Amino acid sequence: MTSRRHRVQHSLIDTTPSIHRDMTGTKRSWEGDPLVDKTKPTNTAKNNNADANAAMDEPSSKVLSIFGTFRDELDEHHDRRERIIKTSRDITALSKKIIFSLQRTRTIKSSLPPTIAKETTTRFDQIHSLFTSLAPDLTAVNTWRYQRNISPGIQEFIEALSFHHYILTQELITKEEVQAKLPREVLVTEEDYLMGLFDLTGEIMRFAVTGLSSGAATSAKSQEKQEGNKGEVGEGDGGAEGELRMLPEFQAGLVVDLRAMRALFEMLSVPRRHHMLRDFGKKMDVMQSSVEKVEKAAYGILVRGSERPAGWMPDLSHAVDVESY
Amino acid sequence: MIDHRIFEDLQTKIDEETHVRDELQEIVQTLARRGRSTQAIISRAHSTPSDQLKPVLDTATKEIIAQKAEVTRLKAVADQHPFYKYNGLWTRELQNLVTAIELCAWLGGFEEYKSADSSEFLTIEDVGKFLDVPVNLKEEDAFHLTIEEYLLSLIAMAEELSRLAVNSVTLGDYTRPVQIGRFIKDLFAGFQLLNLKNDVLRKRGDGMKYSVKKVEDVVYDLSLRNLIPKGSAAA
Repeated sequence: MTSRRHRVQHSLIDTTPSIHRDMTGTKRSWEGDPLVDKTKPTNTAKNNNADANAAMDEPSSKVLSIFGTFRDELDEHHDRRERIIKTSRDITALSKKIIFSLQRTRTIKSSLPPTIAKETTTRFDQIHSLFTSLAPDLTAVNTWRYQRNISPGIQEFIEALSFHHYILTQELITKEEVQAKLPREVLVTEEDYLMGLFDLTGEIMRFAVTGLSSGAATSAKSQEKQEGNKGEVGEGDGGAEGELRMLPEFQAGLVVDLRAMRALFEMLSVPRRHHMLRDFGKKMDVMQSSVEKVEKAAYGILVRGSERPAGWMPDLSHAVDVESY
Repeated sequence: MIDHRIFEDLQTKIDEETHVRDELQEIVQTLARRGRSTQAIISRAHSTPSDQLKPVLDTATKEIIAQKAEVTRLKAVADQHPFYKYNGLWTRELQNLVTAIELCAWLGGFEEYKSADSSEFLTIEDVGKFLDVPVNLKEEDAFHLTIEEYLLSLIAMAEELSRLAVNSVTLGDYTRPVQIGRFIKDLFAGFQLLNLKNDVLRKRGDGMKYSVKKVEDVVYDLSLRNLIPKGSAAA
């Protein structure tokens, strides 16, 4: 359709000069010119037109057929790309839900409460089938072609998976372990893995800060003393005067792990020309502030923990449930 | 406990990748340097009457063939790695090269590579044959010229030709703007067939209408003043 429009425009351009040419000298009287004079030039102009069209048809149809092929190819590419982006978003959403559920636990290095365990397992299964559905779109050359489109989903998945792994074992999941959870076609790049670990520090931070402020720190101690009553938690802590104030072991473990991770992250050297550099700097800042938040929280608990009113609890009803479990 | 080895492995991988990037970058830089000199030669066409264009095209072709050698070198290294992982490093220079090839072809060079005798430009297959690289690979993960790169090169070519239309008039050549106008309009019609999404192709492709308009304005000015030679209307 468009090409026809162009052809029409074109023929206008073509005719005008021939009219003008034949009428040079009588330019001024062009509008009022007798029609008799005009017939001859218009005829030749028409012939010119036909010639022009005939000459144009050939290359034009060639261009059009070439672009027709391109269109099909590009459509295929865009469809695939959109499919992947959509799935990546779904994976991100599911991963976030897993992370939220996991943030409701208060224990580490032990099995999850059944409700949470069930929830995360179903979600991980859902994610796995989403990844599997993408596998045909990510074969051969397409593995890397669409890497950027699937990458956000993978990073979020790594965040969820590594957090899950960390809560269960207090260890970092390795890249190989992540890859083993995914279909072969889905690639876990070093970049995605690293970015996932950066995000993991944020989750550990939230986990640690909630744990510290909800009194889990002291309740662990109380449990040792067989003083399960949460109402006495504050008192119990305050009563330990003269004693060296210490964080309970597993809370201290979180702080130690975060510090270790920070040090290791900071040791990584990513050259300026490496493409992951930009994200790297941003994530590094966030990670550093996460670690500092936890350090501050730990400090606050040790110094001021006893000053909290007895029985004070942050509004984390679900967390308490889990704890009493 | 945090396993140190995880981070050590990451560092090793980062270093390896940096090494690959450096290796490719070095070739791309050579390609870019030669590309600039090719461009400088081709831009002489703006100040050379079309009947004296032959030496300019010959020099440009020589330079393009030198660039082709760099592409071969690039292909050898790039083929050892996933294509799309590093494609971003050279895509720009490859596009510039294809633009240069297409411009030369339009101006009358590369006759032996044109698939059809009357053709004014090289198809993606023609370009691939000249550069000795595969084109539009859909399965095999190897170095190739992508459709997007080819199309972007054509857009750049249209921009350059629209400039040439203006300069041809300055040189007293009133036929060439008409030829350019016809060609660019064909090309533009082709681009209108594509369903472009919000990507770089869309952005650059949208700019093509300005090239079309620029040439149309020149043709209009010429025809208004009755300056287009008689035979060129059909040309």
